[in-house]
Amino acid sequence: MQEKETTVHQPAEVRILKDGPIMIKGTFAFKDSSGKITKGEQELYICRCGGSSTKPWCDNTHKKIGLAY
Amino acid sequence: MDKTDRKYTNGEITVFWHPKKCIHATTCYRELIEVFNPRKRPWVNMNGASTEEIIRVVKLCPTQALAFKYNKDIDGDKQAGINSGPKETDAEARIMEDGPLVLKGSFILYDIDGKELKHYKMTSLCRCGASNTLPFCDGTHRKIGYTGK
Repeated sequence: MQEKETTVHQPAEVRILKDGPIMIKGTFAFKDSSGKITKGEQELYICRCGGSSTKPWCDNTHKKIGLAY
Repeated sequence: MDKTDRKYTNGEITVFWHPKKCIHATTCYRELIEVFNPRKRPWVNMNGASTEEIIRVVKLCPTQALAFKYNKDIDGDKQAGINSGPKETDAEARIMEDGPLVLKGSFILYDIDGKELKHYKMTSLCRCGASNTLPFCDGTHRKIGYTGK
């Protein structure tokens, strides 16, 4: 066995929520469209319906729009 | 392998080009000029699109002048895990302006039914809601004029 790297992160969990946002949970780097990076453990909900007024975040607009997937 | 054959990789897949088989059907660059640009050298830019997109277009080649293989199938050790030395394990999620959510690195993707979805090391998830390949991005955001603002 070779030496292991000291830091091994758990894979982040990405869930497509039915008719709703994308949930990303775990330790990962998040880069917004301006290039700003947030690192570390986090739980984010990304709009998937295209209609949120707080993009990239979900604001539950998908319920009004009726996103179906 | 012919002497004129070329190969290009993005670390995950390798695209093979067999010029003798190419009949210049132009499918590849009409579909994905960001990757297949005959005016550029090298004419294949593996960083121009996601692995899924590249595979989709390679499969459209009518003569199989373009082909691809997963690097893990070419060299099983490379992706064997921690035994292969330092490895990028951090997941990265990136919002593309007016485009998809791009995931890279180590993550597990679950579909709406809770089942694990197979995906490439780099994958794009639809943010505009209009993709025909949900939950993945298929470029429809450009047609509908999606804005991430």
